[in-house]
Amino acid sequence: MGANSGEDFDVLFVKKRSGGKIFIIIFSLFILALTSIYAYLSIGVVRDRMELAQSQVQGSSQVNSSLLPQLKEKAWLDSRLKMASGDSIGLSIDLESHVIQLELKGVVIMSSKIRDYSISGFFRKMDGNVYFSMFGSPLTIQQFKSSIAKNPLKVVEAPKDTIAAAAAAAAAAKKDSLLDENVFWTVKLDHDFELNIQGIDSVSESKSKYKLGKGFEFDRDLKNITKSFEHILKFSKPVYTPEILISIPENEAKAILRALPRNAFVTIRI
Amino acid sequence: MIRSFFIYLVILIFGVVFFVSMVLFAIPALQESTFVLPGITENKNEGEGSGTDKESLEKDISELQTKFDKLTPTNAYMIVNTSDNHFYLYKGKKLIRHGVCSTGKNEKLVSAERNYEHIFHTPFGVRTVLRKQPNPVWKKPDWSFIEDGLPIPSPNDPSRWETGTLGAYKMEIGDGFMIHGTIYKRRMGMSVTHGCIRLLDDDLEAVYKAMEVGSKVYIY
Repeated sequence: MGANSGEDFDVLFVKKRSGGKIFIIIFSLFILALTSIYAYLSIGVVRDRMELAQSQVQGSSQVNSSLLPQLKEKAWLDSRLKMASGDSIGLSIDLESHVIQLELKGVVIMSSKIRDYSISGFFRKMDGNVYFSMFGSPLTIQQFKSSIAKNPLKVVEAPKDTIAAAAAAAAAAKKDSLLDENVFWTVKLDHDFELNIQGIDSVSESKSKYKLGKGFEFDRDLKNITKSFEHILKFSKPVYTPEILISIPENEAKAILRALPRNAFVTIRI
Repeated sequence: MIRSFFIYLVILIFGVVFFVSMVLFAIPALQESTFVLPGITENKNEGEGSGTDKESLEKDISELQTKFDKLTPTNAYMIVNTSDNHFYLYKGKKLIRHGVCSTGKNEKLVSAERNYEHIFHTPFGVRTVLRKQPNPVWKKPDWSFIEDGLPIPSPNDPSRWETGTLGAYKMEIGDGFMIHGTIYKRRMGMSVTHGCIRLLDDDLEAVYKAMEVGSKVYIY
């Protein structure tokens, strides 16, 4: 009896171990399957996006690829002239020359050297026709989101008498206007493009800081994870947004953010 | 038993972390790589269907560039950066002077008692110098008295007039906004004004002499 029970226990242990192995294998396969399905759907949506862009310009005359640099230059100037006809401050981004500028009525009022940038594969794979349909005219900002207040306005209660006024003036004199802020802002443009601008103090920061800066979009990341399950279960494609990420000095990133109107025009040359 | 439980727990956590990192980083990175996209079919046949050739394109570019360059004023103009409180004086595309300034403090003064509110902000956009005046006398507006906790005097009360506060010169740029000097030199480079653009004495003189009535002031 004693010997038998000892054998039973060993069998049970072996069974448990093999059960554990099966669990690990099934669980790993399950995770791999989920990831593969999501990757398949995510890549599919990029291809769809490009196909849609190409189908929208079908019928227009084919752009000669050897003239692409000249046509890009023409589109760039054309677009900036259109932007200059408005009364508002606009943003021009020249990724070819690594320059980002604020322009008002055709006058460059601020120019900043782009320290680093990255663009989605979608932009790199655009053919001439798609390029002109996207960047031949200024794009409009649809939505702003930033890590710092875009137009901060402090509300101050008027002092009751001269003593309170003197105290308020003394307090204001002490305040330091040079705040060290982590500047990151993102805008949605026409064609559902996203433009991300991050302020950096050194070029080495340009890769790591982006992720830190994105911390203010934690809600979006969380939504992406929960939504990914939804897409896998429904076998539906997630949303794809082509992005441009630009790194410029922090004070300039802040100045541009503050200067741009809510629906400002943006001209881009890639 | 406990050991097995922890092994499964670690595997479970690892699986979840793997999936989350794939969703947040690896798959988006894959989406951004070009190899997932179909290739471009390039048309290298010169002029085919485009209706353009290199010469006419270059001519168009040159014309557009000239048109664009003409938008920059040829006479003196000023650019004011309210974010880091600097000004830049240009003539054509040539920078002739730059330095610190002070601009609006971005405050809203509210007095519930007097049913009054006023925003101290330097407006963005392009403005024109409407009037130039040496040795200006400042007529203090209502907000100045409210801010100092004083009763508001009548519109032509002598207590409204103050000399020296605006420095040696003023240039009016519309809606009560001005470019002028200051007695508060320690606070130059800070956002402390009521909306006007304050300059240091030497800068003010240079700007005053360079700018004409009609000169443009670009503020951002």
